Parts: sequence; C-alpha cells; structure tokens
Amino acid sequence: MSRQLTFSIFRYNPNDPSSAPRMQEYTLNESTGMTIFVALNQIREEQDPSLNFDFVCRAAICGSCAMVINGRPRLACKTLTKDFKDTITLMPLPVFKLVGDLAVDTGTWFRHMSLKTESWIHTNKKFDPIAQEDRMDNEVALNIYESERCIECGCCIAGCATANIREEFLGAAGINRVGRFMVDPRDERSDMEYFEVIGSDEGAFGCMGLMACDDNCPMGLPLQLQLAFVRRKITMAGLKS
Amino acid sequence: MQSSLFSTYGYARRLLIKIITKGESHASTEVTHKNPRAELYYDIVELFTGLTLVGFLWTHMIFVSTILLGTEVYDILAAGLDDYYLSYIGIPFIIIVAIMHVLSAGRRIPTRYQEQKVIWRHAKMLKGTDTWVWIFQVITGVSILALGAIHVFVVLAQWPIDAAISTERMTAFWWFYLVLLLLGEYHAGFGIYRQFVKWGWFPRRPLGFVCKVITTIILGLGFAASGYLMHWEVPYEQLSDYNH
Repeated sequence: MSRQLTFSIFRYNPNDPSSAPRMQEYTLNESTGMTIFVALNQIREEQDPSLNFDFVCRAAICGSCAMVINGRPRLACKTLTKDFKDTITLMPLPVFKLVGDLAVDTGTWFRHMSLKTESWIHTNKKFDPIAQEDRMDNEVALNIYESERCIECGCCIAGCATANIREEFLGAAGINRVGRFMVDPRDERSDMEYFEVIGSDEGAFGCMGLMACDDNCPMGLPLQLQLAFVRRKITMAGLKS
Repeated sequence: MQSSLFSTYGYARRLLIKIITKGESHASTEVTHKNPRAELYYDIVELFTGLTLVGFLWTHMIFVSTILLGTEVYDILAAGLDDYYLSYIGIPFIIIVAIMHVLSAGRRIPTRYQEQKVIWRHAKMLKGTDTWVWIFQVITGVSILALGAIHVFVVLAQWPIDAAISTERMTAFWWFYLVLLLLGEYHAGFGIYRQFVKWGWFPRRPLGFVCKVITTIILGLGFAASGYLMHWEVPYEQLSDYNH
C-alpha cells in the first residue's frame, strides 16, 4: 500500500488580471522512486493541465526545474518524495521573475550576470583556426571545470538572503563565474579589471557569508571555498592598485 | 600609446555593456560619489576589528579566570596591568575598535521594515543554520553594544579592579554578567567562525566544531570564575565604603 501524498502548490498567473496568488492542494499516491518532477507531471496529466512548471532534461543537467520544495531551493527532478513527510509544499524560486505557478525566468537574470561579469575569455591573441590548441595543465583544467559545473538553476540565488534583499547582487553564481575566469590562464584580464567587475557590494563584498548557496547547491559546488577564494583575490587586487 | 588606446577602448566597451544590460534587466550604469573601494575597506575593517575583539574577549575571560588560582594572583595581575599602563592603553583601544566594528559590521543590519520582513520570512522558510546564526549575530551584537557599554562604565567608575570589588559586582549583578557572558561569547565564537568561512581556506564543519569547543572552554572558565567570586567571603578590611 503506497503512501498518499498531498502537494500544496503555489498558483498564480501574473498575466491574468483575475488570477490571485493562492495555494492549491493535490493528492496522489506515491510510486517507487518518485521524484517531485514525476509527481508534478502526474498531477498535470491526471488532475490539472493548467499547472505551470519548467523542465527539460529530467537528469539534473539543465537546471530548469528548480523550485522551493518544503522551504528549500532544490531541483524537482533530483528530489525524491520519499525524503519528505506526507505533505509537500512547492513554491516558485524567489528573486526571479515569475512566469506562472512554479515557473520562473532564470534566463534573464543569468544573462544579465554573464554580461555584468563579462563571462568570456578576454585575450589579445588572434584566433588561428589552423593552429594547434594551447596545452593546459590537467590540474588547471579540472579547476576550471569544477566551477563550470554550475547549471545556472538559481538555487544559490533563491536561498541567498542578500540576493532576496538587494536585486543587484550577483550571488554565488556570479562570484563563482568570476572565479572560473580568474583561474583560467587564457583570460588576460588584470586584477584591477576583475576588481571593477566584482569588487563591490554587487559582488564579492555583498556576500554576508550565510552559506545558503553552499547548503543548497544541487550540483554540490564548493561554493564556500570558491567565494572565499574570490574574496581574497579581489581584496589583494583592490589593495595593491 | 597603443596600450592607452586599448584601455580607453576597454573602458568604452565595458561602459557599453553596462548600458546594454540596463536595457534588458534591472541593473543600471550610474555615476556615484562613492569610493569604488569603500566596500573593500569596510569588509577589511569588519574582519580585523572582529578578530581583535575576539582575541580581546578570550584574553579577558582568561584574565578573569585567574581568580581560580586565588585572589592574590587575580589582584597581582589587575595591579600589574594597571602599573604598566596596559589598562590605560588597552581600554581606549578596545573601545575604539569596538566602535569601528559596530560601524563596519553593523552596515549589514537590515534597517528598513521591508528588509526586515524579507529576512525573517526567508530565514523561517529556508531553515538554514548559518542564516539563523547571522540573525542571532545581529541580535547579540546590538545587545552587547548596550550591555557592554554599561559594563565598561561600571568598571571604570569603580577603578581599579581587585577581587573584592569584582566579588561585590558579581554578587549584586550576577544575572547581568551571566547574560553578557553568554551573549559575548556566542557573538565572538560564531563571529570568528563566520569570518573564517568568508575569508578562509577551511571547510565549514570542522571550523564550526573548533569554534564551538573554544567557546565552550571560555564559557566554562567564565562560569567557574563567576562562581568563585560569588562564593568568596570578602575580608572585612577589603570591603568598599559602599558596603561598610
């Protein structure tokens, strides 16, 4: 006999003037290995086709299905229902623009962050498509890859008290992104150029160290150490110049 | 020449990007009178004043707990600090450092009603340990500012320090010192933990464990010293005029 689960889900369509924010309850029977994502699909198919939520990959790669599950930002596809009691509350991620119900627009935020942090290799070298690629130390490559594992789901931003208060804060995703370019030997930006990008309240010094990003990152990125690394680097840059 | 041209170009390019971002999201480009390094300096002042105050608080409790070695040792230490003018340098120094700490760390306190609402709702929703630790840092910090000021005033008003005066104070106001000890050591223990988390090289869990162990030891010393002072019978000739 499987458990009966109650889902309390946030409903609101910002594009419909007659819609008011409310919580709606759905019940369904738990199946083996059920994830929140599976449950949501089942609700949409069997009970309410109007329910809005995002997903693409179902395998914790795309970062689309992030939502607040029982108070914590998580990926719906990576979260098992068996880890919770009978009632599960689902809310959309805060900070990001609400599309409807559980769907939020993380894309605009992350595009802004990418532009703000200038997330591309800054180099004077002319690209030669015929030449052999420059070799890179394996350790350096792994270091870069470690921060590149960010899937831009937005859990670190939604969990961050600072980002919730101040919308211009770039959060762990932004600081981690800058850290990624700092360790990349191909990027020729000077320390001062990095300081300009992130040496302010919007970046490294806006962080209060509440570590909700580190606690809630679905990819398990070492955000505590990465944030401290960037803070030290940026501090030295600011003091030197 | 070329490099200056490039840097002008670089600046223009950055500016352009900021203007583009203004169009499509909430950030904007603006000219401010703010020193671009202001936040850096604030953060460094917060770090170093915090570390200094933790060092001071822990030393303070170790000094107080010399009472456990006997009232003579306590009196010799207090008189020694006085004779070599260490108190006269140390006390104003610590007061200045504390004020700088209030100004730098206090800038993070959400003062607007709207921010307060967001913080409380967010903390209750998330149930994140470190988020709650920070909220209690703010509460304990503000309380220490008030209670610490009273403590400094009372001690200076009855200067110099000796075991007899300390005993009188502890007997009369033990509840005050109990609250101040708990608040102070909580704030210091988690404060140093939080600074290491923000700046350091070590993962949080072992760091938190070490900070809790040290705080427990310091609290133990504080309780023991307070208990000793409260149970010590002050010899009649050492009683202050106030009690005669």
